[in-house]
Amino acid sequence: MRALLPAQDILSFAFSDEKGRAYVCLFADALTDKDLLAEQVLRPLFSYAGAPDAQAVAENTLSPEVRTQTSLSALAEEVLAGNPVLLWEGADAGLIVGTKKVPVRAVAEPPTDVAIKGPREGFIEDVKTNTSLVRKRLKTGELRVEMLTVGRRSKTVVALCWLEGTCREEVVREVRAKLSSIDIDILPDSSYLTRFLASRPHSLVKQVGTTEKPDIFCAKLAEGRVGLLADGSPIALTLPYMLIEDFQSGEDYFVPAFRATFTRFLRLFALLVAIYLPAFYVAAQIFKLQLLPVKLLLTIAGSIRDIPLSPSLEMLLVLLVLEVLNEASIRMPKYVGMALSVVGALVLGETAVSAGFVSTPAIIIIAFSGIGLYAVPNLIEETSVLRLLMLLTAGSLGTYGILLLSALVLTYLVSTENFGVPLAAPFSPLIPHDLRDSFLKYNLRSMKLRPTALNSPNKRRQK
Amino acid sequence: MKKFLKCFPVKLWILLFALLVLTFFSNDFGLVDIQKTALVLAAGIDRDEDGFRLTAQIAVPKGTDRTTGGTSSVEIDGRGSTVSECISDLYARTGWVPKLIYCDLVVLGESAAEKDVFDCLDAFLRNEYMPDSCLLAACAGSAGELLSSTSAIDDTSALALEKLFSDAAEQAGQVMTTTLREFAIGYFGESRSGYMPYVRAQAQEGSDQGQGGSQSGGQSMASPKTEEKIYSARETAIFSDGVLVGILSPEETFAFSLLKGNVYAGTFSVDGTSYLVLRDRGDIRVTASASPAFSLFVDCTVQHYGESHTSAPEQLVKGTLSRQEEEAVSARLTQSLQALWTSCTQAECDLLFFRRSLRRASPAVYAAWKDLPLSALPVTVQARVRSLR
Amino acid sequence: MKPSSRQICFFLAAVAPVGKLVLMPAQLAADAGNDLLFPVLAQLVLQAALIFCVLLLARHDCTVFALVRRAAGDVAARIFAVLLAAFLLFFAFLPVVEQKITVRSIFYDTIPAHLVFAPFFLFSAYLSARALGSLGRVWDILAPLSAVGMAGVLLLSVGNADFGALAPFGAAGTGGFIDGIRRTCCWFCDSALLLAMIGLFPYRKGLAWKGTLCYLGGGLALLFFLAVFYGVFGEIAVLQTPAFARVSAFFSAATVLGRIDYLFIFALAFVMTFYVVLPVQEAVGTLAEAFGGASLLPPLLSVGCNALLFAAVSLLNLSPSQTISTITGTLFWIFPLFSAVLPLVLLALFGRRQREKIS
Repeated sequence: MRALLPAQDILSFAFSDEKGRAYVCLFADALTDKDLLAEQVLRPLFSYAGAPDAQAVAENTLSPEVRTQTSLSALAEEVLAGNPVLLWEGADAGLIVGTKKVPVRAVAEPPTDVAIKGPREGFIEDVKTNTSLVRKRLKTGELRVEMLTVGRRSKTVVALCWLEGTCREEVVREVRAKLSSIDIDILPDSSYLTRFLASRPHSLVKQVGTTEKPDIFCAKLAEGRVGLLADGSPIALTLPYMLIEDFQSGEDYFVPAFRATFTRFLRLFALLVAIYLPAFYVAAQIFKLQLLPVKLLLTIAGSIRDIPLSPSLEMLLVLLVLEVLNEASIRMPKYVGMALSVVGALVLGETAVSAGFVSTPAIIIIAFSGIGLYAVPNLIEETSVLRLLMLLTAGSLGTYGILLLSALVLTYLVSTENFGVPLAAPFSPLIPHDLRDSFLKYNLRSMKLRPTALNSPNKRRQK
Repeated sequence: MKKFLKCFPVKLWILLFALLVLTFFSNDFGLVDIQKTALVLAAGIDRDEDGFRLTAQIAVPKGTDRTTGGTSSVEIDGRGSTVSECISDLYARTGWVPKLIYCDLVVLGESAAEKDVFDCLDAFLRNEYMPDSCLLAACAGSAGELLSSTSAIDDTSALALEKLFSDAAEQAGQVMTTTLREFAIGYFGESRSGYMPYVRAQAQEGSDQGQGGSQSGGQSMASPKTEEKIYSARETAIFSDGVLVGILSPEETFAFSLLKGNVYAGTFSVDGTSYLVLRDRGDIRVTASASPAFSLFVDCTVQHYGESHTSAPEQLVKGTLSRQEEEAVSARLTQSLQALWTSCTQAECDLLFFRRSLRRASPAVYAAWKDLPLSALPVTVQARVRSLR
Repeated sequence: MKPSSRQICFFLAAVAPVGKLVLMPAQLAADAGNDLLFPVLAQLVLQAALIFCVLLLARHDCTVFALVRRAAGDVAARIFAVLLAAFLLFFAFLPVVEQKITVRSIFYDTIPAHLVFAPFFLFSAYLSARALGSLGRVWDILAPLSAVGMAGVLLLSVGNADFGALAPFGAAGTGGFIDGIRRTCCWFCDSALLLAMIGLFPYRKGLAWKGTLCYLGGGLALLFFLAVFYGVFGEIAVLQTPAFARVSAFFSAATVLGRIDYLFIFALAFVMTFYVVLPVQEAVGTLAEAFGGASLLPPLLSVGCNALLFAAVSLLNLSPSQTISTITGTLFWIFPLFSAVLPLVLLALFGRRQREKIS
């Protein structure tokens, strides 16, 4: 065993029982609850005088989670996973004791999905805690949780969750097969899984839903989706994914329907403005002035009169500065945050305008665009790239370029499918029933059926 | 090969992206930066023996300093045998690409209006970037001088003129506006007639000194602007076959507005009393028969609006007209309508589109009557005024 | 991924009429004057009947190539496929020219460089290489967009229309009526487009009637548009291209709000982009089916067809009037050959449904 476990943080504790039989307990130093181990396993065995077979020894312990294993390599893996292993003279098998104690943080509100109304619990990095949060909300025997291991070296536990009878069997089978086929060294985060689960690995648009909140996760399971919880990651994955999901917030279901409808349209509007406004601004100045009313145009023209850069380069520069600021604000230590905010706002904003490097309209547009993108935070990666592409196209080809790129993106979105579910559903293909929970949000009592796009075998969710 | 084909789509997208970035930075697709653009707000056309002179009023962006608000402008002249050549001349002189997309006003000087105006308007009609919704106006004297003058109302004379042609002014019956589209339809139709407001510039009393907001460009042919002008467009120029054939007086213009049913909350005066029109229904009727009949009919509801002498408070409150007043006002409006028709017949201008209406009603009758002079057409004129009760 | 019958109906109702809003109104005004509605009405009725016939053919659930192959063998079917694809590319030429005119007029303030239109062919190559199903999905999005665009344009223009300009009826006479029909044949080929799609979508009971009614519904909107167009422009209607972008510029709030009608115009232009690509996609699909096998074939064919179109557009760039005149006038007979004669012949040959097997 020592040859299999040479690391110095794998400790051993040797003792003997009443009959003088030698025992050794192997455990990972930081991953074991030593008090529990001593209390439930070691102390009872000091006075053990029974048979040396594993079953008898196991029955003598006070631990409710005891398993036997004959393979040395499997026992070594259990030690590495944090489960202490007990070996003794004359043993026919080793004993695995469930006294793991991994360092975890407390369940708290996730920073990326804040709610004014509704639950504030969020997933953490421990898969067992996460599955308990799910189990807490779905107290039904139909909830299946299957533990799979992914990663040759990390042996990361991935919990595959679904509701039997509600989720399509084919989806479960396909996800299981895809997970089983992953041959990777380590799995540090659930986002790695998305690359393997997506039908188009190089796609601009994501094809797997994500959430950090157990209530949203459970709601998606209840609609007929499959959920994945990876150990070490607070971000849960849900499949199949539709683009409309990212415009829906958990809070939409806790506020009146009209408010939810308004908020969803607002998100769509903010996103469209964020993507298109810089592009149209540039296209209007260079190719199609008529997009702007004449007085606004003259005001803008007055602002940009002394700017040395062309409108397209100016906008690109400001956009890149915004992206750099964005990146830096995420990475920087808390202590310099204040100073950098001052630099960003005053120096790069105000002073740059005063110095005549950039114009005020450009700053306003990029600021509004930057804020607008965060109206739909789950699509940030995709929409920021799209915004840049739109800007490049507008600066090259003008408004017609924007139209062509939009047509290309639309074609791409409507023809993408994952696990048999179109990404652009319920708009394309048009599924009239599912429009009740799209940008429009009907009253809860109207939503009696599960989303048709998911083709759940159990269609009715409410009488 | 398989590996190559698998990666090909991604490589293709990367190549396209690289092309896009290259195009972005090298752009040679004929784009015209806003700084190199001359935004023409209005065009004035005059004619001489050599051809045309086009005075373009070009908007000049002001700085972002709020204390200097408004729009300033510069007037540049271009000459040529056609209007298109004048525009090219503008381009050659200034190096700015003239863009007519914001040209909302075309003013025709006296010299241009004396001959077929479509010799010059044709260029605007052909130009796909020129809006057909631009307003047309004729003016006394030179259109170039009018645009170059300093307005007392606005920094830019074109904007001051456009205020004259607003919807509110049209509803008041003070002006009859027309667009290039409407004028062209009239010109190319059976009636071959049209109208546009006739602008006169008058010096503002006591404003013979000081500079206006307009700046003169180095190549401007405009006269020095030392007095502020007030523009008036209460008269209407009428055209037949594209040539200016008459000018309607303000009363005739008001009668024309009533006939078109445009007037709401417009005022007019009869014998020292002003009246406010609250409802206006105008009807130009053509009855096609072997002997066609034409009628001009106006029915409006009015109330007292002002008098040159005081009235009792009860009368002020009601504002109603007595029966005699109604008859008197009706008679006066009928007179104005008759004067309008007389002006049309004298100028041989089918302003009321009788020929077009006749053709629409009956091509056979139209064929028989189309070549007759307007004075031969039997027209009944009636205006009926009712008081607000 | 196959288009559904609902998507076919969306195409017929909302996408097909959009392709007739660029040059056709002005052409009609030149040929038939104020009687422009009558030739269009005749064409719509005829096309509706032909669409009904084509949708009946769709009951076979196989493509027109498969039908011909079944009857006449592989070689004949391939020849037929090549002819059909050639026609589809020929049919696509005028919409591409119209698209170019539209782009030049509404997306730029000055005449842009010729190469500005080149990226359209890249997009067309991308879309043409895909299965028809993806285009069908796009129609779900385009249909409401087209409806909103059309409604917006009409609402903003109807107030300025003098419908009296459509009188007197019959002024253009029989000559004008016949000229109007002859010159609009190149636009009314929707039955040929649908013919190339049969077998690629599942036939549902009642689709023939539904599709025909949808087409007529779209046709009604087109007729109303033409009436408003002529009411707005009257005698100068012959100058107005692209028609849909000009008609709504006169609404009274334009001076205050600016050109908000561009929102609706751009929506229609967006829909038009997909309509223009459809015949190219169908040509690629037809050829791929006839000579198919390799998965690389559709992309290669798509690139080839679009390169051909690009070359044709570039070569004829400096003679647009003559080109349009030749297509609408001299070569008009080619269109009814494939849009009317061919569907009727196929219906006559294959119209009877196979007897159902009783098991």
